[in-house]
Amino acid sequence: MIDPKRVLRALAEHWTLLEPLCEHFDSGTLSLTELRSQLSVQLPESTPVDITMLLDQWIRLDILVPVAKSPNRFELNAQIHDFLAYLRREHRLGLCLEIEAYLRHLERLAGYIKDAFEVRDAHDLARQLRLLDMRVRDVLKKLLNDEQALVAVADRAKTSDRQIPLRQRYAEVLATWDEYVEPMIQLVAADGAFEQGVYRVEHVLLRLLSEQQRLGQLVDDDLLLRTHARILEMQTTAQLTLRRARELLLPLREEARRHNAVTRGAALALSAIRRKGLDAVPQASMPMFSRPQSTFLGSASQVEAYVYALARFEPKPAHFPKASSSRKGQAPRAPRTAREMLERCEQALPLPDLMAWLLEQEPNGATDELLYWFSRLSRDSRFQRDRLERREYLTAEHQVNLSSFALIKSNPASSKAEKSSV
Amino acid sequence: MNIDLSELSHLAPIFRELFKGYHVSRRDPELYTQLSNQQDQYRALFKALGFELTCDPRGFYYFVPEQIGAQVNKTAQRLALFTFILVEHLADQGRDPLAVLDGGSLGRDELPALLEKYRDLFVQAEVTTQDELEEKVMRRLCQLGFASEDNGIYRFLAPMHRFLDVCLSVQQDRDLAASLHSNLPLPTPVLVDDEEEDIIRLDEAAVKVDELSEEQAISEAIAAERANQEVDA
Repeated sequence: MIDPKRVLRALAEHWTLLEPLCEHFDSGTLSLTELRSQLSVQLPESTPVDITMLLDQWIRLDILVPVAKSPNRFELNAQIHDFLAYLRREHRLGLCLEIEAYLRHLERLAGYIKDAFEVRDAHDLARQLRLLDMRVRDVLKKLLNDEQALVAVADRAKTSDRQIPLRQRYAEVLATWDEYVEPMIQLVAADGAFEQGVYRVEHVLLRLLSEQQRLGQLVDDDLLLRTHARILEMQTTAQLTLRRARELLLPLREEARRHNAVTRGAALALSAIRRKGLDAVPQASMPMFSRPQSTFLGSASQVEAYVYALARFEPKPAHFPKASSSRKGQAPRAPRTAREMLERCEQALPLPDLMAWLLEQEPNGATDELLYWFSRLSRDSRFQRDRLERREYLTAEHQVNLSSFALIKSNPASSKAEKSSV
Repeated sequence: MNIDLSELSHLAPIFRELFKGYHVSRRDPELYTQLSNQQDQYRALFKALGFELTCDPRGFYYFVPEQIGAQVNKTAQRLALFTFILVEHLADQGRDPLAVLDGGSLGRDELPALLEKYRDLFVQAEVTTQDELEEKVMRRLCQLGFASEDNGIYRFLAPMHRFLDVCLSVQQDRDLAASLHSNLPLPTPVLVDDEEEDIIRLDEAAVKVDELSEEQAISEAIAAERANQEVDA
């Protein structure tokens, strides 16, 4: 037998050396040479003899054990490894099947308890109850370990390099989901093996309690109640662990699935475009890319005024003139066409000031109408324009401040060049 | 519902941005905060005005134009094509497309290789040079609030999810998948010939504000609009 005190003392004394080694042992074994070089890095002042003594001590205390059939490779003793994993909260995820096996065993123990009570064997009954209690503790410990392991799985996926493919990054998440969470969901479901197993064991314990009251005590009631409470705790813990697993892994799993769908969708679309052109992606797939309304709105105050006016819009009843009644006053003038204005402007060339000319032509014209003609005429390729100094112009309704243009006839060669550059 | 206009302190800039097709996301903290705080009021007001404000839970707002007359235009096709290409390119390189397109970034120096690799596809979208790629795709992405550019680094913003959604809907489109293995023609959508039709009008005017006065910019835009109407008529 190894003296526990010596093992614990060695672990405490050498913890700074053991902790970094744990990380290596988590992922595999180490050869004697690797072990020595690791230790010499941490103990730069020690001699090779010191390191040999240290390793000897660990081997003697069964902290380090040789790997089967490879005497020069070492690993941490599995018991010590589990103990250290518990202390470091770095657990390996167990199997759902283990929990199921434990549950079957609990059910069997419940059967033995029932038998022992029926034959009134107090000693056996107490022993089986203790065994049941210890098994429940095992399940609890395993569930808590698994929860820690699940947190680590999610953390590794979240913190790993963002540049590696998602499939690779989330491989562990997907495997964990398929191998642990999915079976756990079935196990812990209302009609699953877990609930049914717990129900059977609970039923036996509660029946035992009432029978003891009727037939007299074989074991202490407290023992029964404590075991019963622990079983209920196990049931709650299983549900909490499962919920936590779903909360941790479901979003990551969905992300991975979405990633696959996005990549596949992009590849499909590109393949379709390669074969059948840009229009191959059905319009229905792009419902949102409609052309926005092209009505123009100008400055901030205009937008505000526009929205404000629209918000308070009240339709006015339209009064149409009677067909029979004769028109009073002058007939409204037909709006000028672009061609008409262009011709007039062309005839009036050269224009020293386009805006002033427009005001002369249309002294009663609306401001927006004048601005429209100003813009339309000044941009026409028939004219060559020179910007004038900014000044004020008075329309019938407004005072407008702008830089007008002087227009002359455009040189055909330059207008062609301009067109081709456009 | 009572709408208190005094509470909608950013109404004008919000409306102007949304109206020109821009997606408001957390990159515009003032507008975004105002929209998220007064979401219902803005939604009701815009609805009354005939604009459908979409509030995407992934953190962005945009206008959905009316379905009647809605057409997929060339810009949208170009941007979607660019997204498909980028997703495939990143996946080929072993990088995570979602990480890049959802808040990640892409260097301008990566564009030439992308253009070279997918030249056959870019040609279909009339993108043949890097300048065109930057002008017709990257600048558009920035103008519409899908991305931002800083020192030659393009950072993709939350609204990119709209393009990722296109990838997902294509993936779910069994007809498309089936048609890839058949020789029958695809049901192609009828598109308006919007060769020269820009997705945003305001920006054209906004660019010119630097060189022309604001009044001129307004008059030019009115003129362009009327010219369109003349063409339509």
